[in-house]
Amino acid sequence: WRRAVEPGLPAICPTEPECRSLLAAFAEDSAALTGCLGRRARPVRLCQGCHGPYRRLLAQYGTIARAVGNSSESHNCAKSILTSDRLQIVVTLSEFFNETWEAANCANCLKNNSEGLSNSTEEFLNLFNKSLTCFEHNLQGQTVDLSPNNYTEVCKNCNETYTKLNDLYNHLQRMIRQGGESGQPAHLCIDVEDAMNITRKLWSRTFNCSLPCSDTVPVIAVSSFILFLPIVFYLSSFLHSKQKKRILILPKRIQSNASLVNIQEKYS
Amino acid sequence: MLHPSITLGPAQRDTRVPKTVQEQCGHFLLCLLAGSQPGCHSGPGCSEGDKHLTPSSLLRIGQLSNVDLNEDIHELETELPRQRPNEIPHNEKLLSLKYESLDYDSSENQLFLEEERRINHAAFRTVEIKRWVICAMIGILTGLVACFIDIVVENLAGLKYRVVKDNIDKFTAKGGLSFSLLLWATLNASVVMVGSVIVAFIEPVAAGSGIPQIKCYLNGVKIPHVVRLKTLVIKVCGVILSVVGGLAVGKEGPMIHSGSVIAAGISQGRSTSLKRDFKIFEYFRRDTEKRDFVSAGAAAGVSAAFGAPVGGVLFSLEEGASFWNQFLTWRIFFASMISTFTLNSVLSVYHGNAWDLSSPGLINFGRFDSEKMGYTIQEIPIFIFMGVVGGILGALFNALNYWLTMFRIRYIHRPCLQVLEAMLVAAVTATVGFVMIYCSRDCQPIQGSSVAYPLQLFCADGEYNSMATAFFNTPEKSVVNLFHDPPGSYNPMTLGMFTLMYFFLACWTYGLTVSAGVFIPSLLIGAAWGRLFGISLSYLTKGSIWADPGKYALMGAAAQLGGIVRMTLSLTVIMMEATGNVTYGFPIMLVLMTAKIVGDYFVEGLYDMHIQLQSVPFLHWEAPVTSHSLTAREVMSTPVTCLRRIERVGTVVDILSDTSSNHNGFPVVESNPGTTQVAGLRGLILRSQLIVLLKHKVFVERTNLNLVQRRLKLKDFRDAYPRFPPIQSIHVSQDERECMIDLSEFMNPSPYTVPQEASLPRVFKLFRALGLRHLVVVDNRNEVVGMVTRKDLARYRLGKEGLEELSLAQT
Repeated sequence: WRRAVEPGLPAICPTEPECRSLLAAFAEDSAALTGCLGRRARPVRLCQGCHGPYRRLLAQYGTIARAVGNSSESHNCAKSILTSDRLQIVVTLSEFFNETWEAANCANCLKNNSEGLSNSTEEFLNLFNKSLTCFEHNLQGQTVDLSPNNYTEVCKNCNETYTKLNDLYNHLQRMIRQGGESGQPAHLCIDVEDAMNITRKLWSRTFNCSLPCSDTVPVIAVSSFILFLPIVFYLSSFLHSKQKKRILILPKRIQSNASLVNIQEKYS
Repeated sequence: MLHPSITLGPAQRDTRVPKTVQEQCGHFLLCLLAGSQPGCHSGPGCSEGDKHLTPSSLLRIGQLSNVDLNEDIHELETELPRQRPNEIPHNEKLLSLKYESLDYDSSENQLFLEEERRINHAAFRTVEIKRWVICAMIGILTGLVACFIDIVVENLAGLKYRVVKDNIDKFTAKGGLSFSLLLWATLNASVVMVGSVIVAFIEPVAAGSGIPQIKCYLNGVKIPHVVRLKTLVIKVCGVILSVVGGLAVGKEGPMIHSGSVIAAGISQGRSTSLKRDFKIFEYFRRDTEKRDFVSAGAAAGVSAAFGAPVGGVLFSLEEGASFWNQFLTWRIFFASMISTFTLNSVLSVYHGNAWDLSSPGLINFGRFDSEKMGYTIQEIPIFIFMGVVGGILGALFNALNYWLTMFRIRYIHRPCLQVLEAMLVAAVTATVGFVMIYCSRDCQPIQGSSVAYPLQLFCADGEYNSMATAFFNTPEKSVVNLFHDPPGSYNPMTLGMFTLMYFFLACWTYGLTVSAGVFIPSLLIGAAWGRLFGISLSYLTKGSIWADPGKYALMGAAAQLGGIVRMTLSLTVIMMEATGNVTYGFPIMLVLMTAKIVGDYFVEGLYDMHIQLQSVPFLHWEAPVTSHSLTAREVMSTPVTCLRRIERVGTVVDILSDTSSNHNGFPVVESNPGTTQVAGLRGLILRSQLIVLLKHKVFVERTNLNLVQRRLKLKDFRDAYPRFPPIQSIHVSQDERECMIDLSEFMNPSPYTVPQEASLPRVFKLFRALGLRHLVVVDNRNEVVGMVTRKDLARYRLGKEGLEELSLAQT
């Protein structure tokens, strides 16, 4: 098939066979990674499922970049694959994957050598699955009752798990923020964030479980008391405080009255 | 009646004068004059008071002065206080006696000339190098102070918001949010109480933003205590406490004052408060040099506050220095540059990314992406409209603040009341914020950690209350949020309520006895309504103009700030430098110009207004336009207390200790004129110089007896600067009172003089351009007729009905 691709450049073509095989391997890896990312886009499971393909792609790219070998200048694979044309598709692809990976903050969920999920993430995901099971379990009972707006059962039974999950999430987030350098907003990895988002939405929007008690009356009382204080203050100082008087000093001047008259005549 | 320009006959005068009196009854001075000297209008018939006002008596004063001048003066001065003290409530048409002028014109006496001649060319070069060194030190120290304020505020405010947030989170679930409200209000009030107590009881001049005070100082008015070390300490602590206390204030304005104090302190090489003299920079111990450094300090302050070195230089140029030269500009620019660099590098180290010099100011407006947020010609009218809105809102702000300040001056003048007021404002600010957050149903999803203290309150889990980003934060952060949060982060209702509330809070807060600036609150109000404007624009046009609300927030902020403070060029450059975007230069200029024009139509700028309310004799750039008919003769004070060239010590002491006339400059006349020679003006001597002379007992008799160990040098005068001892602390024995004192060596032999016929604008120009303190009015025989000082010129002001005259008052 080579001939079909490059009909006119059989021998002069500088792309060596070993470079071609590198390129093919890279293409396969990127296809695998793309597939993985696409399949795990919703609900987001990128970091859990795609760290293997991503690592392989990185390694492959590394091989290409390092493939200077001992061959001569014209047979340099890195050069011919990465930098010989304007488009530089391999570089663009690898940059895209890197950026996606960075934006997903996957490194925050993986172990330091990025082989597998870190312990805290595992723990979180376990808890997450547990709460989902809990929701499901309790909802099944609800659907029999046919009262979709009444989720009190769920709220009561799953409260413990949900609170645990929420606390763990907050804890993890705090850890990340302390660890990361200040100034840049630190995120947990997208898998964890998304999982938490889903749960929270279910909990407070769908099930309407987090109903805070609103104590409007005491708040209104206290705030109107405080807002009333300045009025008292200004009124009392207006009525009781002695108004500050200024003592006028007569300037020593020639006929200052006359000059005033003068001013008055001319300008008023 | 005696003035040549008055041509009215007696009959006309009789009809007119009462009418004028009636019309002018609001004018206290005239009422007073009319009341106390009822006969004076009708001509030479009236006795005593009028006696001195006839031309012949004027001449007589001139002649008498060589014979028995002092008694005559004495007689004149005791007559005036005899009239019953006239008390009026404080108003804007007063000039306070409290303020004196600075001596920008150095006294060119023999000592000075001798010293200047001794300094050779090389020595002058060292002086020049010293100036640069001082400017560098000003920059470094100002930057460090700014860093200190920033870091402390960040940590303390962070602590406060964390405590309150935890409390609110706790009580949201369990109920009892009124406790959170109480906690927040109490925390705010107690922090502000400390901040207000130190200002009200220790150093009241540290109140406010300090920009009016520095403006006055650079204008040539000596505001007591304004550049002392104590003021700096109180200012810095006060700013930190009032920002942490959650008031609607910023920490940027006070940086200008802090920079000025630092400059004034360093350039003198000593601190009188700490009683330490480092024996350096003695050459700079006079008002002229000090003023130059103070303008450098003000520039360094602006530059540290906004990361705007050029804006700082222009601020000094525009607001302050009446006297300017190119070398000074360059030095000031150096100080600004060093200041922003210091701040930048220290903060970069503090934030953990050392030597990343990308946050040059205390407030950083963040990066505006000009590719994404460009503007087109269709938006120009919109910007102009925003400028108009900013001008109107700014004028409203100033007008409200004017009434409030007037009320405060009249009724809330006791320090305890002032502290109480500040506490109340702090508590109310917290309450308003809390109620707004409580009532708001505007929930936004949390995106990472872009919100510093996300308050959930009644929002769903994972969302935060968007009103809380505006209220539950330091104002600086809120401004940046309004500029940069993605479209849709705030709903219009939230922004509208926030603008309304914050407008009144900020207006109420400015003028409290706490040290705090008005820049950030103005920006915040403007950013809020600007963003609201942007949102409604894209809503109204159905998205045909794709309007990024952040851009309109910036323009709104510029318009509001311009409408309130009315600075022109410097504010434009400051805004441009703070946004770090030249693309927005033109719209910002446009918006600021419109805002200023519209605002000036209604009331004047906030700073000028406060200067006026403080009764400061502030000289504007030019004399009032309709003042050409006034001459030096009408403007000057007369009669003048003169001293003879060789004067009796007792006389000098008596004149100096006369409490009714606290004069500072005395014309020196010839002591023994012959029959052919008149007592012409020979020189001018200052109170401070006389006091130094008396202190060192430089009397003719002692010199003759060789009792004086050494000749007095200029250094002796400098060492006493700037706090000369009062005359009461100098002891002069009865014998010494009979000694004579020779002033010829110490007086300034070439004082500036004007003839009586010079017009007010001409006198004004001379006075303002040279930064004079005393201008002697002489007749054609070089005899002293009167004296023009700052208060004589500052009295005339262009009011609503033409030229009006302010009265002098004791405050």
